[in-house]
Amino acid sequence: MSIRSQLLKGILDGCVLAVIEKEPVYGYELSKKLQKVGLEDVSEGTIYPVLLRLQKNKLIVGEMRPSESGPNRKYYSLTSAGQETLETISIEWNQLSVPINALLSKGDEPFEST
Amino acid sequence: MKARELIEQNNKKRALLTEENEKYYTNLLLYIRTKLTLSEQQSEEVLMEMLDHLTEGQQDGKTAQEIFGNDPKGYADEIISHLPRENKRKSFIFVSEIAINLVGWFLIMRSIIIPIIGTKASEEVYIISSLLLILLIMVMTALGVKMIFGLISQRSFDENATDKKMMIRAGLYGAGGFLVILIISFFVKEIGPSFILPWQSSLGIGAILLLTSWIMKKSRI
Repeated sequence: MSIRSQLLKGILDGCVLAVIEKEPVYGYELSKKLQKVGLEDVSEGTIYPVLLRLQKNKLIVGEMRPSESGPNRKYYSLTSAGQETLETISIEWNQLSVPINALLSKGDEPFEST
Repeated sequence: MKARELIEQNNKKRALLTEENEKYYTNLLLYIRTKLTLSEQQSEEVLMEMLDHLTEGQQDGKTAQEIFGNDPKGYADEIISHLPRENKRKSFIFVSEIAINLVGWFLIMRSIIIPIIGTKASEEVYIISSLLLILLIMVMTALGVKMIFGLISQRSFDENATDKKMMIRAGLYGAGGFLVILIISFFVKEIGPSFILPWQSSLGIGAILLLTSWIMKKSRI
């Protein structure tokens, strides 16, 4: 497993929730949207275990209905618990990303500021 | 949409896959479907999603390996670990349906055999022996189903396994199981109180039981 996919593993749930929050999507759409924002090496299949886990934890619900192109697809939308979890993940991410950026970005010296 | 409709659609849609993708997907499907403790509805839903994804991906020039990865078994295991179990009530109804069906066939066979043998003694039913036999047949059937499904799921991702090998193993099991039933039925022939059940009644009750199991099957899905 590449470092990138290891890092991604922990935050993928948050990414999936964030996409679904914008509008209900089905599996293939979801993977396309993730790739569009730049998460290209998320192997497309990985979203299905994630979707199952989120459903099991009642953060999202799936509903079968006709898609734009015609055939039935299972569309996912956030539950209120999902909404809350997404907010928590966003806050946590922001709290982590600032110091991590400062630590890992070259050229910055976070310890110098006195 | 119910599980049965999903299965029918799945059969139709699978025909749209390329040979290579179809093989990859069918292995996933067999492996997941043969895990009997999983919720059928949930399993069929995710299988349908994966099939739709593969069909759309195929149109964009992607292969099943690119979409689901190089380790189909590992991937299937991951899917399985997130699928909910079938609920107890549904499983119970399913098992009762099979039991009723088995006893129904048993009685009908009996009503065919008795007129052929033609002795009065053969119409005698020993309650305890019969119950023991029915129980035994059910246990053997359950073990048989479990073993055959186990064989199918093992075979899913095993390149070396052949249908022939599998048939031989399943056949051996069938023969062995039958032998066990035969031997045990010989020893528990006449235990406990008995009553006479003429073949006509046997046929009638058998037919009612088969009808019951058929109605249960229809209403289940």
